Amino acid sequence: MNTLELTPTERPATNGNDVIQLPSGLLGFERVKNYRLLTRPEEEPFMWFQMVGETKQAFLVVPPHYALPDYRPDLSDLDVAFLDLEDPSEAFVLNIVTLRGKGQATVNLKGPIVINRRTRIGKQVIPVNAAEYAIRHPLPLS
Amino acid sequence: MLILSRKPGESIVIDGHITVRIVRLEGDVVKVGIEAPASVPVHRQEVYDEIQKNNREALTQTAAKLPRVVAQAEPTSLGVAAAKDSFHHAHQH
Repeated sequence: MNTLELTPTERPATNGNDVIQLPSGLLGFERVKNYRLLTRPEEEPFMWFQMVGETKQAFLVVPPHYALPDYRPDLSDLDVAFLDLEDPSEAFVLNIVTLRGKGQATVNLKGPIVINRRTRIGKQVIPVNAAEYAIRHPLPLS
Repeated sequence: MLILSRKPGESIVIDGHITVRIVRLEGDVVKVGIEAPASVPVHRQEVYDEIQKNNREALTQTAAKLPRVVAQAEPTSLGVAAAKDSFHHAHQH
């Protein structure tokens, strides 16, 4: 599985820093630049994208293939340059989940969070082909 | 804000490489044609507004009870696409 190793207990060997930087923030949360990605084994494949300094609230995220197996966001050249992606394999894609109550959940496929695994810099991008994807894509639940 | 008057068929050039043309008027709808390099993202304002609204709705208590997700096979291809040139280009920066 292509994932960043970012659980709090499993820090990367490179610099011991598990912070992911979003220089532009998330849309609507532009002032918050630093996040951590937290996992609880019993909650997989969900993960928590948590603002540094905030412990009770977070964004629930999920790898997009759980919502749409052939999801393929097409990044603009500007976003590729912004994220300093040298190869597609450096891109780690997470999509924000919204719990809708009554066991329903939707996934935002129109505005994925793309993180460079090497630099830990990320951005909520709007892919060039965003029109193909829904902002409230139903998440198949069992 | 700069406000310019344009007639159908007339254009505005931004930064020498982005052309915005008023294509036609259909009642209260203005058809706008935009020619821009592939490197310049062009989206409707509503897309940004919707994502902002969705982000605000999505912020969740970490104690929330989570639903169970249908298992999916791992994708065989990489998760993002982009023109090969753009990755090479990024490398040069």
